[in-house]
Amino acid sequence: MQAYIPEFILAGLAMILLLAETFFKKAPKFVFGLIGAAGALAMLPFYMESLYANTYIILALVATAITLLLSVDFRAVINLSSNDSKTQDGTGEFYILPLLACVGITSLCKAANLVELFVSLEVLTLSSFIMVGYFRRNLGSTEAGIKYLILGAVSTGFLVFGLAWYFGMTGTFEYNRAIVMAALSGQTAPGMFFALALLLLGTAFKIGAVPMQLWIPDVYQGAPTPVTAFLSVASKVAGFALLSIILAPFAGIPAVQFVIALMAAATLLVGNLGAIPQTNLKRLMGYSSIAQAGFILPLFIGTVKGQLAPNAPFYLAVYLVMTFGAFFALAMIRTQRGSEEISAFRGLGKTNPRLALAITIMFASLAGVPLTAGFFAKMISFVYVINTGLYLNWMLPIMIICAAAGFYYYFKVIRSMYWDKPEEGMEPVQVPVISGVMLAAFSVFIVIGGLMPLFINPIR
Amino acid sequence: MLIWLVLIPLIASALIGLCKAPARPTALLSATLTLALGIWALVSFDDCASCWSRFQGLDLQLTLAPAMAKVMLLLTILVTFATVLGTNPPKGGEASWYNSALLISAGATGAFLSNNIISFFAFHELALIPTFVMIGLYGRGDKRTTAWRATLYLGLASMVLLAALLMIGTQAGFTFSGLQDFIQSGQPLENAELIGALLIAGFGTLISLFPFHSWAAPAYASAPAPVAMMHAGVLKKFGLYGLFMFQPLMEAGFLPWTNILLVLLVCNVIWVGYVTVNQKRLDLLLGNSSVMHMGYIFLAFAALIVSGSTEANPWAVKGAALLMLAHGLSIALLFMLCGQIEKQTGTLEINSLGGLGTRLPRMAFVFGLAGMASIGLPGLANFPGEFMVFFSGFAGFENGFGPVQIATILCLWGLVIGAVYMLRAYRNIFQGDLSKAAAYATELLPAERAANYFLVITLVVFGFLPDLVLQFFS
Repeated sequence: MQAYIPEFILAGLAMILLLAETFFKKAPKFVFGLIGAAGALAMLPFYMESLYANTYIILALVATAITLLLSVDFRAVINLSSNDSKTQDGTGEFYILPLLACVGITSLCKAANLVELFVSLEVLTLSSFIMVGYFRRNLGSTEAGIKYLILGAVSTGFLVFGLAWYFGMTGTFEYNRAIVMAALSGQTAPGMFFALALLLLGTAFKIGAVPMQLWIPDVYQGAPTPVTAFLSVASKVAGFALLSIILAPFAGIPAVQFVIALMAAATLLVGNLGAIPQTNLKRLMGYSSIAQAGFILPLFIGTVKGQLAPNAPFYLAVYLVMTFGAFFALAMIRTQRGSEEISAFRGLGKTNPRLALAITIMFASLAGVPLTAGFFAKMISFVYVINTGLYLNWMLPIMIICAAAGFYYYFKVIRSMYWDKPEEGMEPVQVPVISGVMLAAFSVFIVIGGLMPLFINPIR
Repeated sequence: MLIWLVLIPLIASALIGLCKAPARPTALLSATLTLALGIWALVSFDDCASCWSRFQGLDLQLTLAPAMAKVMLLLTILVTFATVLGTNPPKGGEASWYNSALLISAGATGAFLSNNIISFFAFHELALIPTFVMIGLYGRGDKRTTAWRATLYLGLASMVLLAALLMIGTQAGFTFSGLQDFIQSGQPLENAELIGALLIAGFGTLISLFPFHSWAAPAYASAPAPVAMMHAGVLKKFGLYGLFMFQPLMEAGFLPWTNILLVLLVCNVIWVGYVTVNQKRLDLLLGNSSVMHMGYIFLAFAALIVSGSTEANPWAVKGAALLMLAHGLSIALLFMLCGQIEKQTGTLEINSLGGLGTRLPRMAFVFGLAGMASIGLPGLANFPGEFMVFFSGFAGFENGFGPVQIATILCLWGLVIGAVYMLRAYRNIFQGDLSKAAAYATELLPAERAANYFLVITLVVFGFLPDLVLQFFS
């Protein structure tokens, strides 16, 4: 079987849906979201054979499907951007773009040479530009779109420059250990490191790692909520897949390990300390995504049994679940209470005790409270740093301080739900079917994952 | 079988919280069942390991093998029973009130019985969450600031602790039973001094070791009765339990920090002791006194470190365990009485109370006994505990007069300080002219009286028969 068949199917599905968007003006467009989600999930069997090698791809497909389901529950807000307020005409693309972005991510994971890698990445990035600025009448969304476009273009520039240097030093776009090692041994070594630095900068943009993290809070805040969720999970999965490809030939070199450690430490500090004063939950989730990236990055220091970061997909899987959980809750609050501030969650413990419990589980897991899956995710990062013993004396204190800071800002949401009384006129939140089912499933996953971590991943 | 000691409270709490079962009967049933089951397990000397789920390195295996775990289990089931029986929730708060007691009880039991280091840590965290929520919901005074400060202190402490536990686990394996094999294998523990410092700082903050103690007294003072009882009485012992459990492994790691630890624990006893003398409210007085008493147990720990092993200093572990049990029972009783006094009189300002003894003679008698126990008078459980702790401080004295002996002598002054504040509080609250606040006090409910007597009886029993506990160590 050809490796690109799933991508062809998925891209074809997106094209068919685009045509359908034109021909069925009156049809309810959220159906596209359901079809797209089913389509993304239908690609999973292609990858089930070697589950472990394809974790990044599986994560991307699942994240896309969940994003589409989230968009379906978010349609009340999406429909406001229709040209005709009575129909959902013109909102179809919102459900189609994530599919195209997903094609970009999955083909990126399979890329065998750097040009393919770059094209895949651009498919993802261009789709994301449109998604972020989708609410064109909303000033915040437009602003976010412009910022993302400009900063994204800069990061693409770095990446392309890095590719050019790589080509100049090696004379090929093939990217593997043998070629890199050969180039590193000769006079081309400084040029190779320069190429790696540029490639890392381009990757850091996708991951949201320092020094390319500046766009995250503004873009996350301005983008439509499902798009923010997509950026913070699927796009990050792509970033880490890219990082594992780019870093693999260089992983054993001490100087590179030091740079990754430095990036991880800076990302941890910026994400966690920046999150502390936030009052807008979407902005908070932006800093949170930087912070969580900071906990994943240490896994890329050095290798385990010759493999680069074998545990990173586990962290990302847990991250996917808890982040989407938070965004499902946020979308619900946004559509019904009209605000994305943390204070919009007040009194939820009284009015919707079950929803409040689910949200508590999500944020407790994000903070890394034991007996949740999030705890084991953080624990893997800690154990890895301790086991490698590299830069222990400054990495460990920074990780401890940052994990403790996480308790502060994630618990702000829990505090608001239980300690603050609901304001006058705050009705109980109606939980839509999909959101309810997803939140329940996520809660169960997190609690079971917290009790039996090996249910989701062997700790190596 | 041991798993039921954890599961029963969890199931009861789920029934109350999610299925709207009647809160008080369900909680009482759960507490009675665990009390009976726990005593049965202790009497039959059940060392059985109840494997619930076993994976490589990360299993939730429960065991009663360490003697100290037995003592801690005894403390947990006794205090839980008294808490559920003797405290009364405010209207509308029944579910969260009893749930918090049950969850803390489940978390504490799980932590004390865990053979696995990670689940040992995880169960303790589980118990902390209801503590914070309850202080924020039903606390007195500036409850949110207090709860928030405690959250941050304990959150940071937990992370420091986690780092230390992982550093131990990655070298010596993630089980307590495996530590023994590691010691016998003779391998040196890498980074032992760093781990020692992290353990003392992490556990120390959880136990309110000076100077990381400032969260504790306000939190206990603010907490509603069941949380104050369960946390000060039971959960706080988690840190001490951990220190004693890791001592055999960490001999070399703890030793360099002994002198600093001695200074800090003397500060706990003397400094916090004087702070306690100056308190004007009963809740703050009890909170501070609880912080102060932790100094004695740290003294036993320091004595054990210096002596090197349990064989060289047999008094230390036994005395510490007995004192932990006795302190847990007496402080839980005092916090329960404190809640009852507030309910009867509407105030906890010591100076605006007075003459309560004429209205509530039985409570005055119980408070008197609890106060005496807390001071450490003979015949009550704290006495043999403190006695053995001070003895342990002088173990190895023949080799020379060292810092531990000096600290022990200084700590003896704590007994005097304790007598000053406790007797003064007793006089101002229960004796003298009948105050306005005390004038309307009415007799306690039968259940409240029963819970008071229950704890007093345990204090007297363990005071006269400390062997009931010490036999676990033979």
